[in-house]
Amino acid sequence: MSENILHNEQKLLNLLEKKFLLKESRIIRAKRVEVKVEPKEVIPVLLYAKENSGYIHFAHMSCVDWIEDGEFEVVYILWHPEEKINLFVKTRVPRDNGSLPNIDFIWRQANTYEREIREMFGLRFEGLEGRKEFILEDWNNIPPMRRDFDTEAYVKEVFFHRLGREDAKDVREKIQERTDEELPDFAKKYSRD
Amino acid sequence: MYNDKESQKIVDIIQNFARKHSLFVLAYGTGCGAIEIPPTMTSRYDAERFGIRGAATPRQADVLLITGYLATKTLKRVIRVYEQMQDPKYVMGFGSCAINGGMYWDSYNTINMLDKYIPVDVYINGCMPRPEAVIAGFVKLQKLIQEGKADGWDRYKKNLDEYRANQKKIITNWVMPDFNR
Amino acid sequence: MEGIGYKILGALLTTLLAFTVGMFYAGFRRKIIARIQNRVGPPVYQNFLDVLKLLSKKTSVNHGIMQHLAPLWLITMSVSTLMFIPVLKDGLFFTNLNFSGDLIFLLYIMVFGPLGMALGAGQTGNPNSAIGVSRGLTQMVGFEIPWIMAIVALMIQYKTTSVTGLLDIQSQNGTWMMFSSPLAFIAALLAMPGMFRYAPFDIVGAPAELASGPISEFGGKYLSTMMTSGSIFAFVKLTLYVDLFMGGASNLIELVIKTFALYMYPVLWGAVSPRFRTEQAVRYFWGWPLFFGFAALIYAAF
Repeated sequence: MSENILHNEQKLLNLLEKKFLLKESRIIRAKRVEVKVEPKEVIPVLLYAKENSGYIHFAHMSCVDWIEDGEFEVVYILWHPEEKINLFVKTRVPRDNGSLPNIDFIWRQANTYEREIREMFGLRFEGLEGRKEFILEDWNNIPPMRRDFDTEAYVKEVFFHRLGREDAKDVREKIQERTDEELPDFAKKYSRD
Repeated sequence: MYNDKESQKIVDIIQNFARKHSLFVLAYGTGCGAIEIPPTMTSRYDAERFGIRGAATPRQADVLLITGYLATKTLKRVIRVYEQMQDPKYVMGFGSCAINGGMYWDSYNTINMLDKYIPVDVYINGCMPRPEAVIAGFVKLQKLIQEGKADGWDRYKKNLDEYRANQKKIITNWVMPDFNR
Repeated sequence: MEGIGYKILGALLTTLLAFTVGMFYAGFRRKIIARIQNRVGPPVYQNFLDVLKLLSKKTSVNHGIMQHLAPLWLITMSVSTLMFIPVLKDGLFFTNLNFSGDLIFLLYIMVFGPLGMALGAGQTGNPNSAIGVSRGLTQMVGFEIPWIMAIVALMIQYKTTSVTGLLDIQSQNGTWMMFSSPLAFIAALLAMPGMFRYAPFDIVGAPAELASGPISEFGGKYLSTMMTSGSIFAFVKLTLYVDLFMGGASNLIELVIKTFALYMYPVLWGAVSPRFRTEQAVRYFWGWPLFFGFAALIYAAF
């Protein structure tokens, strides 16, 4: 019974396993298939999925910082419009001096995601074009989405903070005092007292 | 005859009356507050009965609405818009994000206190303030204008160095036109 | 009776009248549109407050000499056009320069203001202004043609180019020209909303797409001068229509009733209309209005 339901997913996995050297592959649940590959296998897998298996829609691309392993994990999410299956292609690169191949010749829109990841994580994409500065302006710190970037310290140093809530006390009485001010005329009609 | 105090007082009363009842509003739609402006202006809440009216460009506007959080990148644009506006000009800050950062208080690219960078005349609290609260804020602003207390534009000119220092702390690469006092 | 003092007093009085009436009409327009949209709307005198406030604003913008002159060109055009139009059929104060200019001169001078505005807007360097100016000139090409055809038809039919002459003919015949030459009236009426630039023909200063177009760099005193000029010019256009097609007016109350009735036509049309695109507006003007203009010309000639 379950084999029948996961028929399409299994078929895709078999194809990919036969064709490529996968580090890991599994069916997460119905409609979710995950494969882990080496960085140099990314383009062949994506091209195969697009051209031969019908995963024509590039849904998303994101990056995870595994600081404990010293690696970035980049996730490509593809979508099959007819079979309605998501394919997750995951790959890991070293945090320092790691680089990934640029895939914007397969899907044009991948350019945007790659530029965002380059800016937010400092991960290099081989042959990626486009302006270096994408979302951040005049940023001269380490890339802000890296986990070794201390956001709170940065915020405390750069921005101002309004005083008053450091002690996290109950402020309802204070607010009640403040609302005893006279209401404007049009609001009196609707006030409870 | 000119510049004597009594006649200036009368002129001030007339000017403040006109300014109070004719507010041209430039809504700088950052964050979620942008969606509170259309109901405030249209049939349901009808801000036009107070003389409040939308302006399309900073040159014609009196009130700048900062409707929500400000990223450091937008702050640059807001400062330019604010400096293009003609005196007297007023600023209203919407919601907790403009007041103290709100839920974005520890974000690396969102400023926390708007009044450190440009002078704010009225803050409206809430997350996000409903149109009633926005209109209450406008009424408060009218009251301040009538009393001559809405002097943010004057404070900005007088304390320009202080404001500039705060602004430059965030906008490291300062390429902006000079502020024409 | 014919002293220069009376002339000057009359000119001042006419300008004041045009300003007041135009401002109140604009206020009524805002009120009426608000009521149509089920709102309360601003008070009728709101526009006076706006002008007063704009005058009290400080201005520190300098783009060049034409930018400072553009509002003055506009108001010069409005007031000088007003001087050549018979406000009332006869009367002590409102005669001004009625007999010195004719319709052809009026057609020329009415383009003078927008031209100055175009130059001023061009000097501000704002891209929105440039787009607005080009749209405005395109729209002018649209509505000026049926409007001029209607006027020329009147000139041919009654063999005079003088506004006062046309007024006299109407009172002699005892009928208004909207009845005696209906085709010209229809053509002029259809071209009228374009002249007022209310929706659906507000493509010049479209606030949502062009940031108010040519006037986007003008604030404070400049804007108040433009508002004043606009209200005077609205009165001028309405009075010209009343003079040409509705037999003029012999007292102020009649004038106000007639112009207000005529004013409601573009206002009410605009209140329920979205905005045309430029080519749609031109296509409209070169459709039925042009047809009626041709028909009026043929009717007048034969």
